[in-house]
Amino acid sequence: MKLWITGLSHKTAPVEVRERLAIAEPAVPGALKLLKSRPAVSEALILSTCNRVEWYVVTDEEGEPREAIQGFLRETRLADPEDLQPYLYEFSGRDAVHHVFRVASSLDSMVLGEPQILGQLKTAYALAKAHGGIAGTLDVVMTRAFNVAKRVRSETGIGQMAVSVSYAAVELARKIFGSLQGRSVLLIGAGKMSELAARHLRRAGASAIFVTNRTYERALEMAKVFQGVALDYAGLLEFLPRMDMVVTSTGSASYILSRADMQQVISARRNRPVFLIDIAVPRNIDPAVNQLDNVYLYDIDDLQEVVNSNLRERQKEARRAEELVEEEVGRLMQRLNAQAVAPTIVSLQEQLEQIRRAEIERLRGKLGPLTPQQQEALEALTRGIVNKIAHGPISELRRRAGDPEGSHVIDAIRRVFHLE
Amino acid sequence: MTELSALWLRVAALLYSLGLIHAFRTVVQGRATMFRWALLGLRVGAVFHFVAVVEEGLLTGHFPANTVYETISLWALLMAVVYLLAHWRYQLETLSVALFPLIFMMTMMSALGRPVGAWSSETVRNVWLTIHVVLVLLGYAAFLLTAVGALAYLFQERELKRKRPQAFYYRLPPLGTLDEVISRSMGVGFVLITISIVVAATWAFVEVGTHWIRDPKIAISLATWVIYLLMVFLRVSAGWRGRKAAVMALTALGSSAVTWVAHVGLRSDWVR
Repeated sequence: MKLWITGLSHKTAPVEVRERLAIAEPAVPGALKLLKSRPAVSEALILSTCNRVEWYVVTDEEGEPREAIQGFLRETRLADPEDLQPYLYEFSGRDAVHHVFRVASSLDSMVLGEPQILGQLKTAYALAKAHGGIAGTLDVVMTRAFNVAKRVRSETGIGQMAVSVSYAAVELARKIFGSLQGRSVLLIGAGKMSELAARHLRRAGASAIFVTNRTYERALEMAKVFQGVALDYAGLLEFLPRMDMVVTSTGSASYILSRADMQQVISARRNRPVFLIDIAVPRNIDPAVNQLDNVYLYDIDDLQEVVNSNLRERQKEARRAEELVEEEVGRLMQRLNAQAVAPTIVSLQEQLEQIRRAEIERLRGKLGPLTPQQQEALEALTRGIVNKIAHGPISELRRRAGDPEGSHVIDAIRRVFHLE
Repeated sequence: MTELSALWLRVAALLYSLGLIHAFRTVVQGRATMFRWALLGLRVGAVFHFVAVVEEGLLTGHFPANTVYETISLWALLMAVVYLLAHWRYQLETLSVALFPLIFMMTMMSALGRPVGAWSSETVRNVWLTIHVVLVLLGYAAFLLTAVGALAYLFQERELKRKRPQAFYYRLPPLGTLDEVISRSMGVGFVLITISIVVAATWAFVEVGTHWIRDPKIAISLATWVIYLLMVFLRVSAGWRGRKAAVMALTALGSSAVTWVAHVGLRSDWVR
């Protein structure tokens, strides 16, 4: 059994190459059928996302998996394998398992730790399974890969920190308030970004959304979009103390909230924290406001800085994830290799047992009538000899499982004992 | 202190204890639901208190600020009266969290100015003292949690203010959660310490009479209690958080440590 992966991703190929090779989901079954029909291919899977296209095949020991995939590419006329060569990566055996685990755990993704890739891999697996592409090896490897991805996600923080500006705002809100349940949000002015932030905040539990704008009609429109309550801009300083979070994105050329304003607001709030998100350029809130106790003001650059820190933190977590993946690969390879030597061990035992039986039968006539005790002793004697002889080769086989050089030893043992 | 005056003082302290319970509930649950009862207790209590002070003055024939007990009693009465007048004029409900426990504590202490010969059983007295010690230690544990929470709050707050997330940002709990932990542990710690002081004062009263109140070590423990009271009050009324709260929590913890050191072996000093 040989596991082989050929593929290309955002790391090796530009989008013009990737888009030529991408296969839409409805076309996958047909392609799978073609790939599986190549000589010696027993299992096949195709993963096609916007950032990567990969072909997985399993062939028997004598098969040529690389030829199989190149033949498939030629046949489907997706691309000439020769032109493609500089963009492709190829993995076999242990490296292939390692690659699958890394892809599933999102360690090879453009945005480290993003969760979509696991779903895409699961879909590819389901498609392959439904169309007869999965039997044995790939099944074991893929199911394990899903478990590894789950483990990486729960045991490292790789998927935890926000990597978009609007999610970073929600994450900060959570770091300030703990739960967002029942918190109120005020949007001053409208914009794509504030709309996004408001949606995320609402999904995170913020219940009351208020909107205000210099023109009240516009505020009413916005209220409809956000399913919020429109407030009259003239009363801003009166209702501001009731707001836990404020998102500003007006086109105002000067600050709409000064330090003195916020000083007043914070003492009206009796020092309960308030989170101000200023995503307007030019800025709407005087940066000096951040010096006030219990006021947390973030402008668009600050949010970006948080995202950058989060990415660095994800990279740290990725190092731990890599160790975890390495460990899991070792474990699976051991299992697969043990499975690989199992047939040899069984046939060796059968062979010896057969010889033992045949020899007893041959001598039966010469021994004359035996008492049951003598019969039993004879059985024990021969079985003991056979077991002692088998012990050496069997333990050698078990020891050599997983050793890349071990195949010679296994072959030698097979030949010595005339195993087929 | 005369017998009748001491009796009226005890009645007043009992009525003032409504104010203490009001403060406990406000601090622990964050809701002031029984302020009206506490105010009523203060009004009626102040009447009994006034009677006690006047009687003390008439029966002893001097202005009732002669002994420590008389002075504390008079001072507590003045505070109660000033508060009632001010509240009638300005609605000072928030101040009650600080003042009601203070008035209760002072009146309770001054009511111990006349020794009684009860509790002859030594076992009962020992158990009573053990209750005091256990309550104090639980209270200290709660305040330790408060201080740790306040420090964590400080680090997380700094991280959020600097806007360059680093280790603390990722590993410490959110400010809101820490705030909750601080409030709860502070409230519970305050209740435990207050009750334990009442227990200790009655123990000292029964065990050694009246001279204990002049021991400077007692002043240390009462000062610590006042620091707690102030901390709890500033949090409930002004919402002190972050740096201020952390400094306060650490001060309170430090003075607790001093009190503890001062009080170890106090009993053998007194009962020699």
